[in-house]
Amino acid sequence: MDRHDGFREFVLARQQALMRTAYLLTGDAHLAEDLLQSVLMNVVRQWHKLSKDGNPEAYTRKALVNQYISWKRRPRPEVPSSDPPERCVSHDDATLDRIVLRQALDRLTPKQRAVIVLRFREDLSEAQTAELLGCSVGTVKSQTHHALARLRAVAPELAHLLSEREIVEVAR
Amino acid sequence: MTRLRETLNDIADEAPLVNLADVAIAGYRRRRRLTTGAAALGTALVLAAATVATTVPWQHQQPAASQDAATVPDLPAGKVGPLSHAYQTRCEVTTQRSLNCDDVEWRVVTAAGATYRVPQALAMTTKEWRVPVSISRDGRMLAYYSRQAQAHVIRDLMTGTEVTSPVPITEDRIGAGSMLVVSDDGRYVVFDPREGSKDPGTLIDVRTGRTVSLNGKYEVVSAKGGVVELVRYVKTDLWLMPVTGGGKPVRFKGPYIMFNEVSPDGRTVIAVHWDRRNRDLKTGTVTVLDVKSGRVVRTLPIRGLPKDNKYTALLSTGPWTSGHEFTVVYATKERVATYAVDADTGQARQLTGYQRAFGELVLPGVGEPVS
Repeated sequence: MDRHDGFREFVLARQQALMRTAYLLTGDAHLAEDLLQSVLMNVVRQWHKLSKDGNPEAYTRKALVNQYISWKRRPRPEVPSSDPPERCVSHDDATLDRIVLRQALDRLTPKQRAVIVLRFREDLSEAQTAELLGCSVGTVKSQTHHALARLRAVAPELAHLLSEREIVEVAR
Repeated sequence: MTRLRETLNDIADEAPLVNLADVAIAGYRRRRRLTTGAAALGTALVLAAATVATTVPWQHQQPAASQDAATVPDLPAGKVGPLSHAYQTRCEVTTQRSLNCDDVEWRVVTAAGATYRVPQALAMTTKEWRVPVSISRDGRMLAYYSRQAQAHVIRDLMTGTEVTSPVPITEDRIGAGSMLVVSDDGRYVVFDPREGSKDPGTLIDVRTGRTVSLNGKYEVVSAKGGVVELVRYVKTDLWLMPVTGGGKPVRFKGPYIMFNEVSPDGRTVIAVHWDRRNRDLKTGTVTVLDVKSGRVVRTLPIRGLPKDNKYTALLSTGPWTSGHEFTVVYATKERVATYAVDADTGQARQLTGYQRAFGELVLPGVGEPVS
């Protein structure tokens, strides 16, 4: 019996869900993997505490979002690359929505992007999102408002996804 | 479920499958060892440096040995960094004026300039057809055919991990002008057994083993963002096919060749208009095409390319380096070079140059080898 068995079980069960969140936050498969790996290295260090009286998944998710915001705040030197953003087209409407939304998400600030992912995909309430981000409910509301306004401005073709009716239904 | 959530879920579905438990534990252990050992190591290094300084005079670092056939090392296991290009060594001309291709092999050159042999990558089939390799657009992934595995292998140069495709491909399927394209995440490889034939190609998901048969009339250009770009020459049709299959081709009026990947805004593609006298190839003129309507957006003469003699010509178009710059591969008599070209003005600036000493030169994100 290895002392990391519990951690292994947790990762095996939850890593794909966490990876999906990491991918939505970063928009890049390699970065998402790096982000999640770096967070899990911290989780394994805290595992003995988390496994006794904590909620490992909530802790990991919170660490994931905070680490992502922290990474994005870091100044990064410009690196020449032959790696333009992963974008392409298809004649399929759903594929087109996906591509345009991914491009539009890239135009948000890290916190705005995190709010969109947590509120509209992870289905967290405003209070839960505020707790996870370590800010007030008012801040979550204003960040959501600004994020949606920005998405509507940079991607008017996504109007059908971002209409008030849709948003109210998602946020319900 | 609303469409916004559905779309976010669709994006999340593209997240790669991972297995990070052991990697995280190993990273944690390594970090702990580093922390606890740092003080002792620091002391040891200071002592060692002091000893060296007092016992031997300073020596300049020896220049790296020139990398001829005898000294080129094999591609090591582990991280080597992204690749700049790969090349196939040339066949030897024997004294009987015939070609000996027994020693032809694939070599890769990293962005940092190190050259390695890749003996595990088959270079020639038993029927003496050249076997392709492919480098992803960012240089991180190398895909090749392994005779031992009878399948394609994808090597991640950033981590050193290798994934062997679960889909066996027999060596005799590899024919004349066979093509291979790997996606940026290394998950998909597209194998075209015979260029210009109607023999169908195969799109392989190396993680799941799922395959999609590709219409043999089309040739693959790129695989990115979950979409495979296929071109049917002469007609000319461009088909942006999702990796799960489907989609419809769009037709361009007139024959075009040398397509590159779709622009980052998803609207246009670069190609070269073909005529019997290859005028656009010789003059370095490309055409910007609309991928939705099939119309010509503009003809773009490239400015700033060397035009020193009659041997100069466009060899290929390449990936986009930004939203407004794409790359081309251009050759003079002595050199092959890649240029970034402004998609609005046509102004070119040189990125990288290569000596014309290779049998086949494979560049990141360029589907076909240039030679």
